[in-house]
Amino acid sequence: MSDISESVAGELWGREGFREDPYIAAETLEETGDAPAVILPLAAWLGLDESIRNNTNRKIGVSVAPGESIDPLLPLLDTIPLIALQFPAFNDGRSYSKADILKNQHQFKGELRAVGDVLIDQVAYMLRTGFDTMKVTHAVTLTRLAEHNLHDAPGYYQPGRGSHTVPGAYSWRRVPGA
Amino acid sequence: MYRYDEFDHAFVSARVEQFKDQVERRLAGELTEEQFRPLRLMNGVYLQLHAYMLRVAIPYGTLSGRQMHKLAHIARRYDRGYGHFTTRQNIQYNWPALSDMPAVLDELASVEMHALQTSGNCIRNVTADHFAGAAADEVADPRPYAEILRQWSSMHPEFSYLPRKFKIAVTGADRDRAAIQVHDIGLHLKKNEAGELGFAVYIGGGQGRTPMVAKKIRDFLPIEDLLTYTTAIVRVYNLHGRRDNKYKARIKILVHETGTEEITRQVEAEWQAIKDTDLKMPQQDVDAIDNYFRMPNLPQRPEGWSQLAISRKADPSFARWVDQNVTPHKNPDYGVVTISLKPIGGIPGDATDAQMDLVADIAEKFSNDEIRVSHEQNLVLPHVAIADLRIVYDLLLTDGLATANAGLITDIIACPGLDYCALANARSIPVAQRISERFGQPERQADIGELKIKISGCINACGHHHVGHIGILGVEKKGEELYQISLGGSGDEICTIGDITGRGFSSEEIVDAVETIVDRYLQVRTDKEENFLATYRRLGAAPFKDALYNETANAA
Repeated sequence: MSDISESVAGELWGREGFREDPYIAAETLEETGDAPAVILPLAAWLGLDESIRNNTNRKIGVSVAPGESIDPLLPLLDTIPLIALQFPAFNDGRSYSKADILKNQHQFKGELRAVGDVLIDQVAYMLRTGFDTMKVTHAVTLTRLAEHNLHDAPGYYQPGRGSHTVPGAYSWRRVPGA
Repeated sequence: MYRYDEFDHAFVSARVEQFKDQVERRLAGELTEEQFRPLRLMNGVYLQLHAYMLRVAIPYGTLSGRQMHKLAHIARRYDRGYGHFTTRQNIQYNWPALSDMPAVLDELASVEMHALQTSGNCIRNVTADHFAGAAADEVADPRPYAEILRQWSSMHPEFSYLPRKFKIAVTGADRDRAAIQVHDIGLHLKKNEAGELGFAVYIGGGQGRTPMVAKKIRDFLPIEDLLTYTTAIVRVYNLHGRRDNKYKARIKILVHETGTEEITRQVEAEWQAIKDTDLKMPQQDVDAIDNYFRMPNLPQRPEGWSQLAISRKADPSFARWVDQNVTPHKNPDYGVVTISLKPIGGIPGDATDAQMDLVADIAEKFSNDEIRVSHEQNLVLPHVAIADLRIVYDLLLTDGLATANAGLITDIIACPGLDYCALANARSIPVAQRISERFGQPERQADIGELKIKISGCINACGHHHVGHIGILGVEKKGEELYQISLGGSGDEICTIGDITGRGFSSEEIVDAVETIVDRYLQVRTDKEENFLATYRRLGAAPFKDALYNETANAA
């Protein structure tokens, strides 16, 4: 690992840069003590009592593996502060579709996070499908993110987050920017 | 033809700059081959048996003379003086140095070309009927829709890490020359009873080790819904396609395991949720793209017909070429010319730099500056006046490009096989060459009539053997190359997967075996009008198996 990537390892990345991650990940709620922000696996999260899930004093986010369905979460999106979609391997692309379904189709307002093996070339794609933040393990990705080198394109051939239309251009095209 | 605008230019240049940086880092040792691999694949660079291979996209097989000149230049300067046109309407260079790749991509970008998405688990180069925009039997030109799909699928953020590669083909005629039913998505552009254009949508076709004919999931999809509906299909595939086994990861397996009815329901449900989003296409955008593909203003050339009659009578070789390689055009004074890249005994799909330059020159002068690459590994001049056929023929003749065998037994499709490919189990090219030599005599070929032989050097089926009237699959058995034969396959509108005849044949036996099949066909056909496929469909495999495996019994 390079010096830069070491200095930001374990931190959370968003468009504004790296920052400390307020959440801790755990298998069950019991093992988190009174931590204010927790991420639980999907099954554990769904198993929580509704009153605990809706408790506004604690943030309880949910982590979803690529093979798990997000359907059970869809009716509950208003109560979820964070959904972490897992990327155990960079080439498993299922979570891109889930991101689009959550953010565009169902207007999920909470934090959508990508967690795992993310290549630098994927970061721009993730932002466009709707991810807000990234918790990345790949050293090269961490270094490039720290250098603000996103490998983004000057224009896009599809609608997506963080882009806008240009008057007179084909309806499917976008350019970067809010 | 489509022309890049500033947006396209900026997009492709940015990708080239990025890849330059990646190649430099690789050459400097900052990236390992393993780290470099996904990056080079995104740019069409494969590592083959002997060297890196570059696969250049030719969207829906359409090229200008200038672009073809550039391909010739690249072959001459960066390769060994030739290129290989593929069954995906692309061109592959087998010998470029890695350090030259950025320069090659720069050269390509200067003529509005690239190598993006010719590899990887993304939506690949969209293919179309190679006679699009010219053929007399066409309902509408499929290329505007292929171009819209090309744009929409370029660096798609949601669909760049699919379970496996994804291929879309579009045809605009009832006669399917684009083999849409063996693609992940096949689109058949047609008119409904009200005269409106739309698509019949097929999904889940494919070849490889589990060949499947696609299932029709919609009979008529309005044009405006093309991108939303395609998004729905690819999204269902991305979410539910198998990722546990590379060989079961294509959408055909998902369709097969889920069932056509259920997968149709899932696609339709997804589509309902997105059909009125930003991807619904306004007619003005469709019209703007369509405008690039307008029929060129072809002058009337009625004098061609009488000239043709005289030339035909004077030169039987020319007459044979016209009969075999010229197809009716929308404009009766014109024809669609197939340039065979299958010289007798040659390597299917290969063209030298000089041949490419010659074709480019001819296209600029006699075909409204347009060239097509066919999935049958030939080139096409889509707009040649009947009056110019003779001079075009004479020019093609100067460099071995006037072989009169389009659609005949020597017009063989073959993958690169063990001569180049890292995946192959057996050689394909030498088998194709020997079959071509055996049947090369013009009268014999003409007598046999339409017969498509397709050869793959491994089960991945890049040579499309499953849909060959005679398909040949090379396998490796106990260190020897062995060739399996299948019969009755077809990639056209009546799509069928060929039936395997039985035990395979050695490299020494395979050409004789093909000849045995052909001889039996000549014995059992009703007359010359009944081609091989029709005969096979009437009689089944029995007479051919009998000829192949019971020869001693027959002789006795």
